[in-house]
Amino acid sequence: MNEITGLMRKKAKELLEKGVVERVIGWEKGMFFYSTTPVVIDKPEETEKLVWDDFAINNLAIYLLDKQNKEKKVALFVKGCDSRGVVRMIQDKQVKRENLYLIGVPCPGLKDPKTAVRGYYKDAGQVPKAKKCQECLHPNPVLYDEMLGSPVEEPQQIDRFAEVRELEKKSTDEKYAYWKEQADKCLRCFACRNICPACSCPECIFDCSKPRWLDKEVSTVQNQFFHMIRMWHVADRCIECGECERVCPAGLPLMQLNRKLLKDINELFGPYEAGMDLEQRPPLTQYDTGDPEEFM
Amino acid sequence: MKAVPKDKLPALLEELSKEGDLYVPSQAGEMSRFVPWKRDVKLDLEHNTTMSPKELLFPQTEVIYNYKFGEENTVEPPSPGSDKIILFGVRPCDVQAIRCLDEVFLTRTYVDNYYQEKRDRLIIISLGCTAAEDTCFCKDMGVNPVEAEGADIVIFDLDGEYGFEAKTDKGKEIAKKLSSFLEETNKEKPAAPSFSLEVNSEGIVEKLQKMFEHPIWEEVSQKCICCGTCTFLCPSCHCFDINSKNIDATKGFKYRTWDACVFDDYALMAGGHDVRPSKVERIRNRFLHKLQFFQERYGLFLCTGCGRCLRECPVGTNIAAFINRLEEVTVDG
Repeated sequence: MNEITGLMRKKAKELLEKGVVERVIGWEKGMFFYSTTPVVIDKPEETEKLVWDDFAINNLAIYLLDKQNKEKKVALFVKGCDSRGVVRMIQDKQVKRENLYLIGVPCPGLKDPKTAVRGYYKDAGQVPKAKKCQECLHPNPVLYDEMLGSPVEEPQQIDRFAEVRELEKKSTDEKYAYWKEQADKCLRCFACRNICPACSCPECIFDCSKPRWLDKEVSTVQNQFFHMIRMWHVADRCIECGECERVCPAGLPLMQLNRKLLKDINELFGPYEAGMDLEQRPPLTQYDTGDPEEFM
Repeated sequence: MKAVPKDKLPALLEELSKEGDLYVPSQAGEMSRFVPWKRDVKLDLEHNTTMSPKELLFPQTEVIYNYKFGEENTVEPPSPGSDKIILFGVRPCDVQAIRCLDEVFLTRTYVDNYYQEKRDRLIIISLGCTAAEDTCFCKDMGVNPVEAEGADIVIFDLDGEYGFEAKTDKGKEIAKKLSSFLEETNKEKPAAPSFSLEVNSEGIVEKLQKMFEHPIWEEVSQKCICCGTCTFLCPSCHCFDINSKNIDATKGFKYRTWDACVFDDYALMAGGHDVRPSKVERIRNRFLHKLQFFQERYGLFLCTGCGRCLRECPVGTNIAAFINRLEEVTVDG
């Protein structure tokens, strides 16, 4: 057992025993060496389930939106990305800060169980770092009540818009062909939406039946519409955790869409990263007289 | 047993494609699925596909009828296909899933014309498994991993050649047409592969019958995000929704699409009442349908142990682990 796992269990037990929180959300070990999955714990004696290892990759912030967790006092373990998801939810008044006890875990970069599956790798050491973690700029939690372990060094050399810049070089027709091909792969399983900490609407436009904005028909046009709307709805809320792209069973490059809009936002409104600071409002939710208005 | 040397497989597939629409497993980007065979399609016979072959019998979106309105209202069903649908390289777990779909769509009270029309044209050429992945558990769900029951032809990987055994009349007819590719081999059929994942499905139906109100459902559903990954990739899930779409003021079409019992609006009824209001009831329904209800009605598990949901679930929900956990559960009486 690693040191962080030990500290997690101890802390979770203490919080539940003292009644500081009613519930702890963390990760537990699954059936395979590469499965580490979210777990909800209500009893002090069950805190022994908690683990921290290479595969604790799921962003736990989404569980704060669950009906059964919303009104409870909850302790949540947060990596950099989880904590940014929480910041966004607090800013959107989806969760109350006073209901949360955030335990920060500096993140060394994790591994994706979907890469490890199918027996190519025999142990965790052989599995490469997940794509989303290779792209991560903020592995240390940005909001926490206490931190387990010491902060890791933050990477400096990552150009988060490199892929978008490459795509922008394509002609309009090439871009259309590329995105049509992607849309055609989509199964509309909604894993990208449901795993997303920025998708926090209690009723989603895609589930609305009166009127039905998105047809249930799975076709190029409907899939394009779905992805277009999804990307705009998370435009300045996307915390770049990469969960949508990681869980997509069809392998759609969804972070390219999200980062395209973030790049535009950065160019229009100045440097911005969602969920870094409780006081910084997302550019599209505020108005400033200095905002560019060339489109007017 | 007859066999085809591996280097003759492309020629055999070419010949087979003359008999109807031939589909083969192929890797396309991150996702693999059954695609129309062409000379340049790269076969993937090493792993089972991400998408199951059910999409060819039961497409994700399927037109039920086209309609026109105006002075005269007309309804016209889509014209049926005529060519054979030949699936090459279907794994035994997925053949078993087609048996499950047959039960649902073709037996008892109602026959689904749309399914039947395709099923009648279907020829299944199954590839017996010589290796099991770490997520495979078909043998514990009543599937023979080597010889797929329900296939028209079964082929076996025999190193350098594929053993070839026609099982049904349809299969024998195809075998006759392919006879110039087939030679006699003295190799034996491969033994069942060894499985690293063991699942104890014995007695679970009786146990689950007493567990409708058990606290386990609350626990296993907590991490579910209610997406449709498991149901859409599942070779045997078959729920659908019916909608219509007006193309303009005079015409449109009625269609069905895959639905998922874990979706938030699945059990929401007109008037606003939801019979399965939270994910606790939804996951319970999914697991009980797979492991209890289908057994009670048809004598088969609706989970065939293909492992797709274990591999792809965004939050690691694992039905095999759930079945094994039932061993620890005690129920009254």
